[in-house]
Amino acid sequence: MVNLNQISKCIVEGDSNAALELTKKALDANVPAKEILDKGIVLGLKKVGELFGRGEYFLPELLISGEAASRAVELLEPVLSKGGTRPVGKYLIGTVQGDVHDIGKNIVIMMLKGNGWGVTDLGVDVSPEEFCSAVQKGDYDILGMSSLLTMTMPNAAKTINDLKTAGLRDKVKVMVGGAPVTQEWADKIGADGYAPDASAAVRIATALVGKS
Amino acid sequence: MQKLTGLERILKTVKHQEPDIVPHFEILIDKKVRDAIMHNANASYADFIEYMDIDAIVVFDKTMTWSYETLDAAKGIKRDQWGGIIRFTTTDLGHPVEPVIKSEKDIDTYVPPDPDLDWRYDELKRLVKRFKGERAVIAHCTDVFDIAKESLLGDIAYFKAMIKNPDIIDRVNEIATSYELRFLKNCLDVGADMIFVSGDWAMTKGPMVSRELTKRFIAPPFQRIAELAHSRDVPCFKHSDGNIWPIYDIIIDAGADGIHPIDPMGGMDIGEAKAVFGDKVCLCGNVSCAFSLVTGTIAEVQQETKEVIRKAGKGGGLICMSSNSIHSGVRPENYVAMIKTIRQYGKYPLEDHFDNLVMPQGKKWS
Repeated sequence: MVNLNQISKCIVEGDSNAALELTKKALDANVPAKEILDKGIVLGLKKVGELFGRGEYFLPELLISGEAASRAVELLEPVLSKGGTRPVGKYLIGTVQGDVHDIGKNIVIMMLKGNGWGVTDLGVDVSPEEFCSAVQKGDYDILGMSSLLTMTMPNAAKTINDLKTAGLRDKVKVMVGGAPVTQEWADKIGADGYAPDASAAVRIATALVGKS
Repeated sequence: MQKLTGLERILKTVKHQEPDIVPHFEILIDKKVRDAIMHNANASYADFIEYMDIDAIVVFDKTMTWSYETLDAAKGIKRDQWGGIIRFTTTDLGHPVEPVIKSEKDIDTYVPPDPDLDWRYDELKRLVKRFKGERAVIAHCTDVFDIAKESLLGDIAYFKAMIKNPDIIDRVNEIATSYELRFLKNCLDVGADMIFVSGDWAMTKGPMVSRELTKRFIAPPFQRIAELAHSRDVPCFKHSDGNIWPIYDIIIDAGADGIHPIDPMGGMDIGEAKAVFGDKVCLCGNVSCAFSLVTGTIAEVQQETKEVIRKAGKGGGLICMSSNSIHSGVRPENYVAMIKTIRQYGKYPLEDHFDNLVMPQGKKWS
């Protein structure tokens, strides 16, 4: 019998191989995939977020834990969708135009996936037009924009304005993040959420889709 | 006090003695800003330094000493001299797209750039000839941590390897450190007065990695650079954006004579820094180039600059600078206002201009 706490522990320790092996064993033992996700992987990531928030975990620990969770979730995904379990939500993400920083965005993606979100990554240097087009074509719950440079932050504001102009603003919730971004600025440009780090991004996204 | 040269002013403040005026320089000054101030698009960076009587000129390694190969001009994609692919968008500095080392085996066959190529020192030689003794000519180099995680391994692979495969980090660190030590030795031979090492060790909330990993992987290459500087009796400054409170002692113990930029975005208050470690290193900062220099009024810039001087100028040990660089978004008139304020309110003794000067804890100024 697989103890799901052990999966959590592997996620916290960033042990991808052990996390994968235990997830396989749990599936083989007919533990429901949703239970493995919620009581194993997500709980592990929650603990990782707490450790990061307390300054006990840093980028290396966050990355290896995020990778362990992402790989375990990949294993669960086919079973989850076969069983009719939908992702927590669908998240569209990208770094704003003029900015090619991506580590922050990539950590957010890892944490979202580990928490059962479906994520579409538009990459870096994404123009407002590209964001709007993706929102129009897709069925996303949240659009997340990352900006690591003060001078590229206005492009997140422009994207929100363009969404309004195109009549798409109510189609998605908008979140912003990145080193120079603040809650005050997020409020000013009319974003629905601001996250100072990846764990907060997951927490706020989950709250925005009413599943916290 | 008699008027000092820019070099004397900086060296004196680094030794925690009060110079004639609080010194000022910047690691990067965007050409658009320089041109707007000088009303002359043909003026060089050195012309601007002389025109504004700035105390030091920085030979920035990435823009003046590194080689690049253009891969896609339209998209701004180039290969840097380490082999990493980078992309230029809104800034003069590219951002890493793809590292050169994809697996441990790649390290065995990796050929690093040659630090001894004469052309790398052409600009430094010109600036030494023009400014030697008058202004500090600063040899800038990129932190080994940055080169290793951006050009060589890629940031995610680097951070993961810190825990999963430390040997790789040691190997790439050695490649980059060997280059930098040779490069900087050559710069000092040419006549550089100081060394300035850029590259962040922290983010807004705190250090990128734990104290243990900072000491194990990040600080040692910088320490070797600082040792080289000190063996030649020149100061060595370290830059890191972000909140460095949890690791400032590691930076100091590794041999930093100055810390830049005491990042206000990272919650660093320069008065608090002065009180806690301002007697150990020269503080370089921290007029906000994210806010006041970009969107503030002249009065706001003046007020912020005065506050920096009031909080950190007493007893020397302050170079008043922006909180990172004079990038393209800085209002030219705001930068001029900052410099004018330093010249007006940075004249020692500061008691002539301020009450409530901040002092390091337990220190009494004679």
